Amino acid sequence: MTDLPANNRAMFWRIIRRLLSANRGRLFVMLLALGAGAAVTAALLNLQVDAKRRLTTEFRAFGPNVIILPKDSSFSGSETLPESTIRDVPRQIGNAHVAAKASLFVIATVSSTQSEKSLSAVIVGESPRLVGWVSSRPASSTATGLPSTPAGTICTVGGRIGRQLQVVQASELTLSNGDQKEACVSAGLAESGGPEDDQIGIDLRAAQRLANLSGRINVIELTVPGTPAEIQSYIVGLQRLLPDAGVRPIRQFTEGEAKIYNRISGLLTATVGIVLLLTALCVMAAMTNVAMERKMDVGLMKAIGGATRRVLRLFLVEAALLGFAGGLIGAAAGIFLSIGLGKAVFGVAARPRLIVYPVAVALTVIVAILSAFPLRRLASIRPASVFRGEE
Amino acid sequence: MFLRLVTDSFGRRPRRKLLTGAALALGMAVATAALSVALDVGDRLAKEFRSLGANLLVTPQADSLPLEIGGVDYRPMNAGAYLPEADLPKLKTIFWHNNIMGFSPILEVPVVASAAHDHVPIETPGNFTLIGTWSDENVLIPDGTTYRTGIAKTNPWWNVEGKWFGDSHQCVLGSAFARRFGLHTGDRLNVMSRTSEGHAVGLSLDIVGVLSTGGPEDNGIVASLGTAQALAEKPGQYRRLYVSALTKPEDAFAKRDPKTFTPKEYDTWFCTPYISSIAFQIQQELPGTDVRVIRRIAEGEGQILTRVRTLLWLVTGMALLAAAVAVGASSAASVIERRTEIGLMKALGAGSATVGFLLAAEQLLLAFVGGGTGYALGIILARLLGEKIFGVAPEPTLLVFLVVISLAAAVTLLGSAIPLRRASLYDPAPILRGE
Repeated sequence: MTDLPANNRAMFWRIIRRLLSANRGRLFVMLLALGAGAAVTAALLNLQVDAKRRLTTEFRAFGPNVIILPKDSSFSGSETLPESTIRDVPRQIGNAHVAAKASLFVIATVSSTQSEKSLSAVIVGESPRLVGWVSSRPASSTATGLPSTPAGTICTVGGRIGRQLQVVQASELTLSNGDQKEACVSAGLAESGGPEDDQIGIDLRAAQRLANLSGRINVIELTVPGTPAEIQSYIVGLQRLLPDAGVRPIRQFTEGEAKIYNRISGLLTATVGIVLLLTALCVMAAMTNVAMERKMDVGLMKAIGGATRRVLRLFLVEAALLGFAGGLIGAAAGIFLSIGLGKAVFGVAARPRLIVYPVAVALTVIVAILSAFPLRRLASIRPASVFRGEE
Repeated sequence: MFLRLVTDSFGRRPRRKLLTGAALALGMAVATAALSVALDVGDRLAKEFRSLGANLLVTPQADSLPLEIGGVDYRPMNAGAYLPEADLPKLKTIFWHNNIMGFSPILEVPVVASAAHDHVPIETPGNFTLIGTWSDENVLIPDGTTYRTGIAKTNPWWNVEGKWFGDSHQCVLGSAFARRFGLHTGDRLNVMSRTSEGHAVGLSLDIVGVLSTGGPEDNGIVASLGTAQALAEKPGQYRRLYVSALTKPEDAFAKRDPKTFTPKEYDTWFCTPYISSIAFQIQQELPGTDVRVIRRIAEGEGQILTRVRTLLWLVTGMALLAAAVAVGASSAASVIERRTEIGLMKALGAGSATVGFLLAAEQLLLAFVGGGTGYALGIILARLLGEKIFGVAPEPTLLVFLVVISLAAAVTLLGSAIPLRRASLYDPAPILRGE
């Protein structure tokens, strides 16, 4: 008596094996359809999560998006903050790094030793200072880098002011404000299209000496990565941390970015959603089509006494197995695909998210089982008419 | 006979054909929706990026260096050069005039102010900057049309509570300014400037709105360009012009120096809406100006646009691939299962070519019907998507239709070609015996 269920089970799996291997062509076709669906599902899910995160990093191409000013500053440049404020700025948001730059503005007379020209200009003391214009300035400014042997402090000269002073790389400049004097060597001209074109950038210490404002700064510019909501909560937290300063978003960028981010992420989600849904339906239709060809098999099994439920279970298990196999292969392929695609789009390989793999496999199994369900309709067929070739 | 065989095949097994057709239609709907969105998205997103504001800055060539810290210019009044307002309509006559989304001239005047709240005077000590610009100006273009533009188009993040100034007797007040002195919409503001000749010009303005920008303008006063010109005694002149232009992201070609172009390359460059070519065309129309690309905006935008576009094309590519494979599998399966039929036909004397032709005709018919349905379905989906995300539906294009139909035909034919080839090798007898 105990042997019977065991025998039944052995028979069940034997039939399944035979069902799968009976027609290699069909097996291949089914695996292909399911695998393609799984691959696209896995790749899109993985890419979508990654792309959204990557986008927020891309937005930092616009430069700083948050500024810290003296409380109730009239922006006139006369109020200052203690330089130590910058140390209280949290530099970590999630896993990403917040870049911060402190600046002090001074109006000074600039004269060039070589061309013997002089004029008044805004001098910006920056800390930390990256020579060249890489820090907060967009990538393609035409910085020419360091002179080979710097003879003094290095300064970056804006394009317009440089042309007026006839400054070239390694020109010596003298900056003076009242009794204070600073000498520096030009690191080359830079064009940014912004106010930097009319300014001279020097080391913060030098600017503080020039302005007689030791240890003071005018403004801290922060480049905060993250989604609009993350940036907003960072600003709120920072304001609480720095009650003596005013923290404000640069609305031009925070608002514009928020709008664009929402659009792009909405676009991605919607496109991915529609593609996934239609792909699932498409795979399902294709699979159902294949399953319907099983009429003969169902008829035969019923003719030799198989109960409809057991016959149906056979085919559902077959479909689930196929879905599982197709899903395993396809999802793995899809994740590799998304790594490559991430590299193609963002230059950085998309990090594979392990959660995507089981999700994609599960989805494929569900699609496969659902697509075998129309076989239930076959419960009503009469074996005899199938064998006679009638519908 | 041929036609009868084809129609019979459809008539005899309608459900089966319907399923293959449904798979096809769904697959092609994916393709259509993804393609339509991907084709359309570049233009739409470029428009979205204009919410970052102007990407070109026009200043007088002969201008002295601005001594500007935090939005306050420390130059003496008579320093620097000005540009004529009358030249501005020429902006809309450049080759890429349709890509100019907006422009606004700026003239800043340092002023001292005093205010009155319910006829009670309020002291407002200190120097302030009055920014003169266009709020919503009707510009008469030389070709006879008018064009509306202003600061709201070039600086869309400027929020006004209340309304923008309408005429030269109104102004909007920066939010920090208003808060500091407790001023509200409806109050009166008296401003006085000292002109370069040394005499004072005073004006009385109605406050019609409170402006918040998150920038130095929050401490200033914004009024019409005419008001600023009167205060500065510079009629018909402005100092800075912000232009917001729709551009194509710069590629390696656009980054080259235009002076090194061959005439043909020059034409290509001139006729492509690169930011550098638009800047060049503006400079040609407005003599004596220096047109600078605001790199921070233009480059960030180009970079992100390129990325998003590539991303969407990849998604589209994957969608096409998945649809193609699933549809191909479906048609392969439908051929595999018809071995008996094929065997019978061959037993009755049909050659492999005839059988292949018959099945191909069937599959093609299915491809056209399924592809057409899928296209219609996909267009509806793309419309929904477009309207939901950008508020504008993408236009259905013939290109997408052709691509989708040929994809459907190619995929079904390819899918059935492999099993057909194998079927043609079969000997009819064992198949008919059911082996």
